[in-house]
Amino acid sequence: MLEEELKSRFAHYAAARIPGARNMKITQMSRIHGGASRQTYSIDLAYDDAHGPQTRGVILRRDPPDSLIDTERRVEFAAIQSAYGQYGIPVPEAMFLETSSDALGAPFFVMGRIEGGEPLNPFKMDAIEPHREAVGRQFFQHLGAIAALPVSGSALTREIDTPTPDACWKRELTYWTNEIRRNAKTPQPVAEAAIRHLERNPPPPAQRLSIVHGDYRTGNYLHDGNGKINAILDWEMAHIGDPYEDLAWATDLLWCGNDMERAAGFLPWPDAIRTWQSASGCVFDPAAFEWWSLFSHIKALGIWVTSEKAFADGANDDPILAWSGWFTHAAHELMLAMRLGQKYGVDL
Amino acid sequence: MTDIGMVLGRLGTKLVTEVAPKLEGDYSGGHAAMAGLMSVMAGEAWDGAADRLFTEIGEIRSLLQQGGMAVDVPESPSLKVSDLTKERDFLALNLIALQASVETREDEAAKMLNAQIWVHLMKTAQARMPSPPVFPDAEG
Repeated sequence: MLEEELKSRFAHYAAARIPGARNMKITQMSRIHGGASRQTYSIDLAYDDAHGPQTRGVILRRDPPDSLIDTERRVEFAAIQSAYGQYGIPVPEAMFLETSSDALGAPFFVMGRIEGGEPLNPFKMDAIEPHREAVGRQFFQHLGAIAALPVSGSALTREIDTPTPDACWKRELTYWTNEIRRNAKTPQPVAEAAIRHLERNPPPPAQRLSIVHGDYRTGNYLHDGNGKINAILDWEMAHIGDPYEDLAWATDLLWCGNDMERAAGFLPWPDAIRTWQSASGCVFDPAAFEWWSLFSHIKALGIWVTSEKAFADGANDDPILAWSGWFTHAAHELMLAMRLGQKYGVDL
Repeated sequence: MTDIGMVLGRLGTKLVTEVAPKLEGDYSGGHAAMAGLMSVMAGEAWDGAADRLFTEIGEIRSLLQQGGMAVDVPESPSLKVSDLTKERDFLALNLIALQASVETREDEAAKMLNAQIWVHLMKTAQARMPSPPVFPDAEG
């Protein structure tokens, strides 16, 4: 669908959904780069209602022909609803969800736009200076707060199942193993060795069941340039599981330019863990974290081989998918090989 | 024009430093930047691709032989990257099976072979890793 047509159809849709709105116009619409899992548009609405002229910024997340991650937009929508207004977690308002293709040619959802934020490129972490410590503290505070969100009765539990604490690791490992085996274009000896290692050495049961964001990392939040995180985005992989999954993913070396000294490229590890423990109410167990940290690399490889397949098969020609299938796959394969090789007595 | 690595590298640099900044704010600007970065990566990878595959193939064949695994993978009919990749992929499937079997044994010979397989996997992963990308600063 051409953008002009999309604009016109979305204006019609918004006029019908916003109570009392008349003379609906879209004054600006631009596609945001990088969201290969959804086509993401920033839209300015202008309309009249009983109180006079109104303007509103919204974000439209529309399903692409193929995406990085095969997820239900219902889950992402429900995850945002589950976190909205809770524990100071900066999450946009979930506004409308459409699971049919009637209105815009593909399923989509709409959320409020949080103004004044910019993403941070994980390959350019130094751009956060001089606010590294302040942003880092909020990064781990919000991460812990997500782990502390009530699971029972949340919107998310109405969309997906809740595993038992001892089943979290197995469910995630099985899912991503299947993704790798189904989508990899070439044999994956490092991933296969890692999968066997993780199966032989399982972690303890989850100390609590949490809402897991699923992709909490630098690149998926907005900051205001003055040391404040003002939006946590990209909830499409949210699920119920072990809170270590998010902590391990958030501190994966790919998302902080390989900064081994600071957790997620922000804070000394003890500070980061203290902040996360305090906000989550969880207790840090290094052995369990190690399992989930290795698992993060497997999950990443699952995403990257799926990206590569989508690009190679022509289902989606966004270059970011080729990048993911090449550079980031190589990076995670290298991390996994070097970490696991050491466990088997090899140190190059 | 014979130096393909150089051509790809220069094209990529052009895309990243000249074209992408001019498209700033448009969705295609992101595409141009990513295409440029990968063009530079492709230029770097092009020169070493056949050598890397040749090395991987030799190492895997040697490991399979040490593991006593009879393999029925014919040698590549040419030095084309596509042919070498095909041979390497078949061998890699055998390597996965060998390592899975070696991991179930407790004897010293098995542990030693497993360590050798890890040396191969680590060296291969190192060789496959592209140089870190140089993201240009946004220009007005």
